[in-house]
Amino acid sequence: MPTGAYRRLNPATKLALALAEAVLALGVRGWSGPLVVIAVCVAVAIAARIARRSVLLVLASIPLLLSIVLVNTFLYPGATDPIVQLGPVRPTWTGLAAAVQATLRVVAFGFSVVVLILTTEPDHLIADLERRGLGRRAAFVVGATLRAIPRTTQRAGQITEAQRARALDTEGRLWRRVRGILPLAGPLVFGALTDVEEQTMALEARAFSAPGRRTVLRVFPDSATQRVVRWAALLGALALLTSSIAGVLEAIP
Amino acid sequence: MAWLSRQFSTRVIVLIPIAIAINIVLGFTVQKVLNLPIYLDSIGTILVGVLAGPIAGAVTGAASNLIWQYAPVIGPGSNIGPFAITAAVIGLLAGLWGQLGVYKSRPAEGMRLWLAIAIGVAAPALLILPIINNPAYTDPNVGGYPSWVYWAAVLIAATFALVLAAVAYVRRDSAAVWVALAGAATGIVAAVVSAPIAAIVYGGVMGSGTDLLVAALRQGGADVYHASLGQGLFSDPIDKTITSFVVFLVVLGLSRRLLARFPMGERLTDTASA
Repeated sequence: MPTGAYRRLNPATKLALALAEAVLALGVRGWSGPLVVIAVCVAVAIAARIARRSVLLVLASIPLLLSIVLVNTFLYPGATDPIVQLGPVRPTWTGLAAAVQATLRVVAFGFSVVVLILTTEPDHLIADLERRGLGRRAAFVVGATLRAIPRTTQRAGQITEAQRARALDTEGRLWRRVRGILPLAGPLVFGALTDVEEQTMALEARAFSAPGRRTVLRVFPDSATQRVVRWAALLGALALLTSSIAGVLEAIP
Repeated sequence: MAWLSRQFSTRVIVLIPIAIAINIVLGFTVQKVLNLPIYLDSIGTILVGVLAGPIAGAVTGAASNLIWQYAPVIGPGSNIGPFAITAAVIGLLAGLWGQLGVYKSRPAEGMRLWLAIAIGVAAPALLILPIINNPAYTDPNVGGYPSWVYWAAVLIAATFALVLAAVAYVRRDSAAVWVALAGAATGIVAAVVSAPIAAIVYGGVMGSGTDLLVAALRQGGADVYHASLGQGLFSDPIDKTITSFVVFLVVLGLSRRLLARFPMGERLTDTASA
């Protein structure tokens, strides 16, 4: 069993919290939403001892954040309060404020995603959701996708190498890179479709399409408190989202 | 309801994760590794839509984006999650085009071929006519777009018409026209759905090659929403047309026996001949 108080929570609880944080970070306008989410995520990360790893993963958003800050600070349309005049470019305070807000949103959302990824095993989450009634087909789709990604990446690498052995140029200028994509996409899709036949037969042989619900043997501990927390988090986030859209939260920065 | 459960047969349930994996691998390569101003993350979605129907396509699209966002290793740093709505719409449209028989090969000769090509060339011309005649798009003082938008729209429409005519002529297949138009239409809808999401959530930038276009549009005076919309209307139709063609070529290459096993397979083959 996973260690740490947060990790021991039921996977559905961790998912509900992550979704509530995502809604709060992205949907509630202003500074408060993202800042609250960042505070909560930092607290959870420290408590679950994933602080260093989570910060490193959140840093993966740096190219996006850099782009947001640069484009919005220097090129925010309609802004008339320049910070300084650097020749032809005019960074503005309005643009900077918009940039920082967008940055906070991205960081808050990214943090909530990272916390979920680092504290929850995908298999546990899928098993728990299936026990709650998700359905074996949806559970299969999510699980199979996560397994298919590394397999497809490997196959894409093999196809690219095979094409290179046939004198396909995959480095260099833009046009060559574009031309390198199409000979990759075709074989990838065709190869995938042959997989479909084999896997379909394998699943049918294991009564995948039989009616009735499967019994999931693995049970993750749950409690009434967690149930309350889940509902409160999701409903609260939705309420805040609708209030924000309706303009009720204008007074809060 | 039977129609719905037919769309989700075991074969389709097996296809969906594979399609999502293709979306993610190709999309990641094109957007993050190669930094091209297109996305190429919808091939799987459109393929499922065409083979299995609109609802399956929509599910594939939404699931692609959400799984990509929350997947270990590739999830952090990606910004694809909030666009799940766009992806669902793309899958839905692909299913509708598939039901209308857009992806069925239609070999044509002579007058029929030229008629189809004429329609294919006329369509983009008709589409951009309101754009270039509307000062909101071409006069920076009115709509906020830079003045080069006029020539950019003309050039893109002309290139599109030329490529479409060439492919249809070379392959002697009028379906190329419909496939290209369906792709362009899907791209336009996708751009319109994505622009508010990009503008509101991400301040209009994506952290990829498309940001240069956003910056150029803003430099010309466009506001946050219109810059995102302009970038989308450039990247999305091109991307979805290329994707649409790839799916068409894939479907052409599949045997009829294989196609017939999918829910929408019948619409992709000529059932008149044995």
